Amino acid sequence: MPEVCTGYESLAGMSRRGFLSQFGMGLGGMALGGLMANSSSADASGGILNALHHAPRAKRVIFLFQSGGPSQMDLFDYKPVLNEKHGTELPNEIRRGQRLTAMSGNQSSLPLVGSPFKFEQHGDSSAWLSELLPHTATVVDELCFIKSMHTDAINHGPGVTLVQTGSQFPGRPSVGAWLSYGLGSESENLPAFVVMVTKDKGGQPLVSRLWGSGFLPSRHQGVRFRSGKDPVLYLNNPSGISRESRGRMLDALDKLHRIQQSDNIDPQIEGRIAQYELAFRMQDSIPEATDLASEPEHVFKEYGDDAKTPGTFAANCLQARRLAERGVRYIQLYHPGWDQHGGLPSGIKKQCQETDQASAALIRDLRQRGLLDETLVIWGGEFGRTNYCQGKLTGGNFGRDHHPRCYTMWMAGGGIKGGMSFGETDPYCYNIAENPVHVHDLQATILHQLGIDHERLTFKYQGRHFRLTDVHGHVVKDILS
Amino acid sequence: MPRPLRVLIGILGICVFAEPVLAEDTVDFQRDIRPLLSDRCFACHGPDAERREAELRLDVREDVFRVSDSGDGSHIIVPGKPSESELFLRITSQDDDVRMPPRSSKRVLSPSEITLLKTWIEQDATWEEHWSFSPIDSRELPQVKNSAWLNNSVDNFVLARLEEAGLLPSVRASREKLIRRLTFDLTGLPPTLDEIDVFLNDEAPDAYERVVDRLLKSPRYGERMTADWLDVARYSDTYGYQVDRDRFVWPWRDWVIRAFNNNLAYDDFVTQQLAGDLLPNATDDQILATTFNRLHPQKVEGGSVPEEFRIEYVTDRTQTFATAFLGLTLECARCHDHKYDPLTQTEYYQLCGFFDNLDEAGLYSYFTPSVPTPTLRLVDDATRQNLAGLETQVFDEEAKLKRLTDSRKAAFETWQNDLTTNSDEIPVPAPIKHLAFDEVKAPNESVAGKVGQGIRLTGDDGVGLDVGNFKRFQPFSIALWMNTPDVKERAVVFHRSRAWTDAGSRGYELLLEDGCLSAALIHFLPGNAIRVRTRTPIAVAEWQHVAMTYDGSSRGAGLQLYIDGEPAKTKTVRDNLYKAITGGGGDNITIGERFRDRGFKGGLVDEFQVFDRMLSSLEVAQLHDGHSLVDAIAASSRATDDGSIEKLYSYYLATKDEEYQSQLIALQKAREAKSALEESLQEIMVMRESPTKRQTYFLKRGAYDSPGDPVSADTPAAFPPMPNGAAKNRLGLAQWLTDPSHPLTARVAVNRFWQIVFGNGLVQTPEDFGRQGQPPSHPALLDWLARDFVEHEWNVKRLMKMLVMSATYQQSSSVAETHLARDPENRLLSRSPSHHLPAEMLRDNALAASGLLVDRIGGPPARPYEVEASFKPVGRDKGDGLYRRSLYTYWKRTGPAPAMMTLDAAKRDVCRVKRERTASPLQAFVLLNDPQFVEASRVLAERLLMQHGDDTNAALVDMFRLLTSRRPSDTEQQVLRDLFDQQLSAFKSDAEQTLQYLKVGDKPFDDSIEAPILGALAVVANTLLSFDQCVMKR
Repeated sequence: MPEVCTGYESLAGMSRRGFLSQFGMGLGGMALGGLMANSSSADASGGILNALHHAPRAKRVIFLFQSGGPSQMDLFDYKPVLNEKHGTELPNEIRRGQRLTAMSGNQSSLPLVGSPFKFEQHGDSSAWLSELLPHTATVVDELCFIKSMHTDAINHGPGVTLVQTGSQFPGRPSVGAWLSYGLGSESENLPAFVVMVTKDKGGQPLVSRLWGSGFLPSRHQGVRFRSGKDPVLYLNNPSGISRESRGRMLDALDKLHRIQQSDNIDPQIEGRIAQYELAFRMQDSIPEATDLASEPEHVFKEYGDDAKTPGTFAANCLQARRLAERGVRYIQLYHPGWDQHGGLPSGIKKQCQETDQASAALIRDLRQRGLLDETLVIWGGEFGRTNYCQGKLTGGNFGRDHHPRCYTMWMAGGGIKGGMSFGETDPYCYNIAENPVHVHDLQATILHQLGIDHERLTFKYQGRHFRLTDVHGHVVKDILS
Repeated sequence: MPRPLRVLIGILGICVFAEPVLAEDTVDFQRDIRPLLSDRCFACHGPDAERREAELRLDVREDVFRVSDSGDGSHIIVPGKPSESELFLRITSQDDDVRMPPRSSKRVLSPSEITLLKTWIEQDATWEEHWSFSPIDSRELPQVKNSAWLNNSVDNFVLARLEEAGLLPSVRASREKLIRRLTFDLTGLPPTLDEIDVFLNDEAPDAYERVVDRLLKSPRYGERMTADWLDVARYSDTYGYQVDRDRFVWPWRDWVIRAFNNNLAYDDFVTQQLAGDLLPNATDDQILATTFNRLHPQKVEGGSVPEEFRIEYVTDRTQTFATAFLGLTLECARCHDHKYDPLTQTEYYQLCGFFDNLDEAGLYSYFTPSVPTPTLRLVDDATRQNLAGLETQVFDEEAKLKRLTDSRKAAFETWQNDLTTNSDEIPVPAPIKHLAFDEVKAPNESVAGKVGQGIRLTGDDGVGLDVGNFKRFQPFSIALWMNTPDVKERAVVFHRSRAWTDAGSRGYELLLEDGCLSAALIHFLPGNAIRVRTRTPIAVAEWQHVAMTYDGSSRGAGLQLYIDGEPAKTKTVRDNLYKAITGGGGDNITIGERFRDRGFKGGLVDEFQVFDRMLSSLEVAQLHDGHSLVDAIAASSRATDDGSIEKLYSYYLATKDEEYQSQLIALQKAREAKSALEESLQEIMVMRESPTKRQTYFLKRGAYDSPGDPVSADTPAAFPPMPNGAAKNRLGLAQWLTDPSHPLTARVAVNRFWQIVFGNGLVQTPEDFGRQGQPPSHPALLDWLARDFVEHEWNVKRLMKMLVMSATYQQSSSVAETHLARDPENRLLSRSPSHHLPAEMLRDNALAASGLLVDRIGGPPARPYEVEASFKPVGRDKGDGLYRRSLYTYWKRTGPAPAMMTLDAAKRDVCRVKRERTASPLQAFVLLNDPQFVEASRVLAERLLMQHGDDTNAALVDMFRLLTSRRPSDTEQQVLRDLFDQQLSAFKSDAEQTLQYLKVGDKPFDDSIEAPILGALAVVANTLLSFDQCVMKR
């Protein structure tokens, strides 16, 4: 009997069970229907992988994406040489003719700029940090700083798209979608992949395809939780429709579907019944998960005053912890505004004020709740910034252009060694001197920590077996605990 | 019973395996073997020469049966003898070093797949070329036993397969189901109650056919077909990428609607979209069709490298061409030879060569709303006439000026004679601005100039003037002394513009390009501009006098460069300016620097002068040497050679002759009038061949900055050659594509039309007809349809009619146990397919049933409620815009209409030929809570209550009919009634809640109806909008 590889799911896949698996919903959904009581856990997760490729070190990911490209040498990568040579031209032997963006590439002069911020060493690990990150300084022994990140992109669109999808150009699934596809969700009533964007931030625009599912089934795309009353599009009943009214509507709908099943055993009908049951439950579970009112005062103190304002980075960090507790697989935060082409000193200070305390609080909070070991936290952006000034270097004011050749990210928890720094840049912070980590390597490492071989989580589309890391990527073994 | 999902999920999590209904005893090479070889072996033993291992190809017959490299004389495959076939020995070896596929490939063959290969070899290992690359067979209609079931030839093929598998077709669907199915499939809308009743009561044998004919004639047909094509064309009302501004492309969408409604033959449909501009005597409408190839995302983000994105545009066009018309995954060959199909990387770039040759920029303009070139001006007939009239006027005034040039000789002589007696004339032209640079602001430097002090520019600090905002119908001149320190690859000497690429360079400019002077007037670079460039580089480290003069004609011939008082030898690089050069900011002249451009670093400038008229050559010479004009006048009476008299005569006309002057003014007025109209005309992006052919290159690793050898446009060798006499351009490409001998075009097309009607294609991977794609479920039927389609002049409506007239289509969709056991995926078409309706139809259904739907066809995009809730919220419409058909919904790439997206609409970032169908709880939220659906429910209830008054049961029956096209059974009606009653009492006890519910949506509710009744009935409608038989095609 030949098995024909169809690449498509059969009608039977649309049954109740199929539906639940499809949306990455777990056992609860099935238990409610009284079906599949004996399901194995692999099934319950709804992921496509029957078994993990190796023992996982993390169950979920919280990615605190800093959109715009934070300046590595003003935050993490201490470069006194730049202060010594402040104002002098970027030496040709350092630049080596590499391409610049079309924003500063035509400048007649490229003067080096030393960081105006003080650097000190912190923690048992003696990690260098600038004075802009006093809170991060208190958790450095949990963090692994990768100072040798590099990317192929020199602009935001391609850069963020590469970090999120493994390709600079639109059309590929995002990391979260791959994980939802591969692992499904741990949660009964929440999506596997949730996205939160800091509200009312200017900066380079983000686009919804960054959490898209590309060619993967669309159910794997990230669900954006908005701040405010309707965390998910049209989650709430329309005005005037109470929970009871909604219950009546769904009861009637259920009855109509049961009648229909008497002369049509199409499994899609059962799937639809399950779909509406789950929707009804999500109307409870999502508000419950997103309502911060039940958090005690000391928690807000820890995350900072901002945490009380919905939609801030701090509130989203707290939210992320709640979602992690409830089993959301991939929690993606975006905090735009790091694109300091000009006015860097004041701009970056503000960005740090918005993110430093909550990032550190999240690490501590996860640690205290015993979640850090199974939650991989990542902090960083799409590229770094230039060691030279974009535009005029006037007095204390300056800007830095995009720099793809080296930048810093940090990771914590989820089987990553804390209190370490990996990779080195040259004294000018222009190129990598040691242990380069490409974006694809980061992605391979993320999947590895979740028990996935990045070369084996594939999807056949247009005849090709696609994967997150394309044909690249190596797990950065040196940073694993 | 359905098999548990886990069993259905294949190894590696890649595929789901079908039930083995397709099994026969004989192994079918096309269906069973090649896909397997392709998927597991071709990556290393396939078409990609670069990665090929052991010089073995398993995709070509010669290699498969040749002697192996083992040295013992064995063959790769010995037909009939697996145990003597190297291939079989390798895939079954226990030795890790020997076994194929190797562990490192992460590909495995399952035991059943190995058995399959073994059986194939045992059965003599028949080998055929991949089915879709072989000519389309003329197929005989298969014989069937139950010939009474047949409606048309389609059914022969379907029934033959069913009979072969021992399955019966399903019974015919009820008339109510049929008219609902038909009306959605052909128009995207539900049938009205009248239409249902007429059909139910029509006992004539051709009742069904007349419904089909009526629907195919409806203008709604074109809208429905267009909704599908928008995904293929990656249509969007915005440019895409990050900034994602609005763009004006909807007239192309309306072209598609007209094309479908007029039943434009498919070969013409394709040809016009690919090459309408190249057709003989192309009409505007045919050129408009080519907007298809400009619908890819476009970039504006500051700092981007324009060439990088221009290459993306070219590759997007090429790949869209391959996916949409050939069903090929050509993109795989961008960086290396295709691993599965016979497409080399060189062929990839040869195909790109067809789509490379247009005068386009890699970035659109951030600071101006210029439409990226090339463009078509959209004009109605009245405007066209008006424009022609204005053009004639300009032509007439130019002719008059020309005549004056000949007729003012006498006056010239009089003036010459007067000169001798009237010598106090000072003939130095007067500038409107003169910068002598006797003082210079740091960081630019004051240095010794040509006259007194001059300026040395840093290249980053411009010197701004307060003049220079000339319009393109105004003559002007600019003169300066300059001195370049080195041969500049690129440097801005001066300009009037907001920016370089960020403004499409709108304005005018004098640059150094590869050391040559280059002057241009620009609306949008490169396609809407005039540019002249000196043929040789100018001298380095020397003061030179440079002037640029312009006559207001918008023509290259009217733009002149002078060096040291002499007209420079120049080449006209661009000569196509047809829109304003002003606007966008940067209104005045800046010297030495421009936003994100390369400044005149280290360049010296002195005596910079601006004139609001075109200087004559003698005046320019005078500016250069301070005496030419004075000398000429002094020598006037003695002048004998024609050249000097001619020059002086030009000077006289330009400055002294009153009649000539007033004619200049008349000409300028005529040009102004013409410009004013032209500036107001709307343009749309189209395809147009560039007059100078752009060289296309092989790009190593697909990277824009790694060009390899030059290539020229050509088609891949694996397919028939281009027809005799076909030009190597897009028109020739279209001729090649639509040649009846092409193996793919018709197959791909009929498969997609089949997909529109049946939900899935006969080839379930419409995006891949290559070796990694799925073989057709009914190969003979696909070929027969393709052949028939071509033989009947690619008649789309005829094809659509044939499909829906088939008995296959008219089957019931009800699923029974046998179906799940024997044909779970319905690949054998043992019943009519059922799946949830596409996003557009789900929304249009609610609007149509409620009567809210606005009928108007075409026009600018509509912004319904949902666009306010998108990731990139935009303001919504009031009134009609809320209730247009969904294909008109404003499509923003970075934040597409969110309800549509939830309902599985395609994102339209790239060409997509098939949509996902999923079922998520988020869809339930849309149908239950989206104001669009809530409002429609209430308006539907209003409509029914107005009609039926107190008779709630009648209202409920009609509601059910409007939303499912059939009458409810008694039990169903009871469910509706119970819901209504319960909700009525709930609303009766809470007036405020009722009011809140009725207020959803912009349309005011009818307060003549008792609110709780209206609310309760609306709740029933709101519920039914989620009912399987409302949302599913059944």
